[in-house]
Amino acid sequence: MKTKITTVLIIVTLISISAYSQNVVNLKIKGSDTVLPLSQKEAETFMKKNKSAKITVTGGGSGVGIAAFVDGSTDIAMASRKMKMSEKLKLQDAGKAYKEVVIANDALSVIVNPANKVSQLTREQIEGIFTGKIKNWKEVGGDDEKIVVYSRESSSGTYEFFKEHVLNNKNYGTSILMMPATGAMVQSVSQTKGAIGYIGFAYMEKNVKALKISYDKGKTFIEPNVINAKNKTYPVVRPLYYYYLTKDAAKVKTFIDYILSEEGQKVVNEVGYISLK
Amino acid sequence: MKKQFFLKVIIALFIMNTSLVIKAQETEQSPFDTLANSVNKLKDDMDLLKRIKISGYLQPQFQMSDSNGIASFAGGNFNANSDKRFMLRRARVKVSYETLLSQYVFQIDATEKGFAIKDIYAKFTEPWAKAVSLTVGCMNRPFGYEIGYSSSLRESPERGRMSQIIFPGERDLGAMLTFQMPKTSKWNFIKAEAGMYNGTGSGAVDFDYKKDFIGRIRMDKSTKSEKISYGLGFSYYDGGYRQGRKNVYTNAADSSGLMAFVLNNDTTNYGAIAKRTYMGGDFQLNFDLPIGMTTIRGEYIQGQQPGTSSTTASLTTQPTTDNYIRNFNGAYFYFLQNIWTTKFQFVAKYDWYDPNTDVAGDVIGQTVKSSADIKVAKTGKNDLKYTTIGLGLAYRWDNNVKITAYYDMVKNETSKNVTGYTKDLKDNVFTLRVQYKF
Repeated sequence: MKTKITTVLIIVTLISISAYSQNVVNLKIKGSDTVLPLSQKEAETFMKKNKSAKITVTGGGSGVGIAAFVDGSTDIAMASRKMKMSEKLKLQDAGKAYKEVVIANDALSVIVNPANKVSQLTREQIEGIFTGKIKNWKEVGGDDEKIVVYSRESSSGTYEFFKEHVLNNKNYGTSILMMPATGAMVQSVSQTKGAIGYIGFAYMEKNVKALKISYDKGKTFIEPNVINAKNKTYPVVRPLYYYYLTKDAAKVKTFIDYILSEEGQKVVNEVGYISLK
Repeated sequence: MKKQFFLKVIIALFIMNTSLVIKAQETEQSPFDTLANSVNKLKDDMDLLKRIKISGYLQPQFQMSDSNGIASFAGGNFNANSDKRFMLRRARVKVSYETLLSQYVFQIDATEKGFAIKDIYAKFTEPWAKAVSLTVGCMNRPFGYEIGYSSSLRESPERGRMSQIIFPGERDLGAMLTFQMPKTSKWNFIKAEAGMYNGTGSGAVDFDYKKDFIGRIRMDKSTKSEKISYGLGFSYYDGGYRQGRKNVYTNAADSSGLMAFVLNNDTTNYGAIAKRTYMGGDFQLNFDLPIGMTTIRGEYIQGQQPGTSSTTASLTTQPTTDNYIRNFNGAYFYFLQNIWTTKFQFVAKYDWYDPNTDVAGDVIGQTVKSSADIKVAKTGKNDLKYTTIGLGLAYRWDNNVKITAYYDMVKNETSKNVTGYTKDLKDNVFTLRVQYKF
């Protein structure tokens, strides 16, 4: 009798442990530097609510995150661009089915040093600056000051999005300075009077100035802010993505559901991105 | 006494000074500095190790053929009294060492058939535009898509019959220039390769003075939505073999108007070059559809192939018999369908190889007549066209393991004038392969 009771107790304990361990959220998230502050904040608030949850978030760029996702070293890839066909083919070859979730939107902002008197540019002028055709601020209504152009590295989704949607797929100029992370770009622009760069909206700080942009050749200039991004008058808005394996749906569901919930989307706005609703 | 005193003072000062220096050095190193130094050292070591990459794959397989001892391009001929076999089709280990502007590759294949070197090459990229690279050594020939496409990625167990005949072993010894703008350039989607090669393949020593030119240009793009990607390539081969005999046969009509091999035995043929020229075009399309990823891929090659009466395969040694020059063509087409989001992939492949496009059907092997002016030889079994339909199902277990079941249905051209080929041979092959990749 005693043995039977002991056996039942052991089984019950084991079932409880396994049920408990299934509910424990233990996730690795890697990728886009743009999505990084959002994921960090979401993970932080989520872990406060779920004491047993453990979420580690690291940046590196969209390309780095998706590469880690393909080789299985992260559960979720953060990306500020859509997954490329070449990456999809690699996943297919590995027999991995994946899901794509848009978690927020971002208004990509072109930033300059606050001391710069230029506060607005047309898309064509931005293209001229980043492709190296416009080299001095006086050519676009500023002081006689050399333009120092900062860009993200080519593994960054922001780099690719900016090239495609702002530079009309034109090549970046040869004299641009590549920044390994968005934070480094903000710092450099804040310290260099003639600097210009581009960042995800959440990285916006007081020590840099966001430019108004015109996509109708100078007729109207729109400021990058949440209202303009939501009513779609600001032209450079992009979705931010999470990618996860279909087989991991149960594992990531709680966290992704949280981000998409009212509370999670509130965090999106707090961080400086544009919520989905 | 005074001298000794001064000596003692100097020694004492020296010791004090030394201990102060040591102390000073010790105090300068905070625990964070020590940790940072250790991390930096580890990082340096890791950076060095990251340059070395080891990869490889194993392909054990079981095969069944329609009959004993068939000649096959599905992994080689079957033994005379065998229609089933286990074999280790490929077992590759590749080691590469990469720096920012150079790459060194060594790859071997070790199976039950022996040990073979597949790749040994070094690649250097110029440091300015980083667009031009020079590769020297034993490497894949830059012709077409299938030749350079890794066997570990290919969806069918083997390359098409044509690829195996005109480029046996795929590799060759030579030097190649590659032009491709860096990833940051909008012209990165174009890649051009051109090289000079022995033309005899990787396992053979060149036997003549003729070096072969191979060139390929390709482009790969995808749509903005990343739902469709497409690629296009054009290849050209200009080479040849030294003719070891003066007798050269080419296709023409005999005295009675029948297609035959007509002899040219001009003495200048001896030592001259028999031209080996190929031209090819290939395409790849990938669609990300709701039913799963779909891929369509195709390649067509035509050209002139020097050989002998008994083989149309590219030569690896100086032929000791008469030279036969044939016009050929061939192609392959793949249709690959991922089954929704499962791990299964359906594979369909159709390929053909016509070693002699000047003759077909019952014309092959017919008796031809020589006259006083024209000496002729009849065509034969080596001039028959082959078509193969392959159907398969692949299961991708994970990153490392893939299981493929594949059935090759081989159909040969028939001729009532070729003994043994008046009907289709029983030479279909079923392959069950497990691939372990690391």
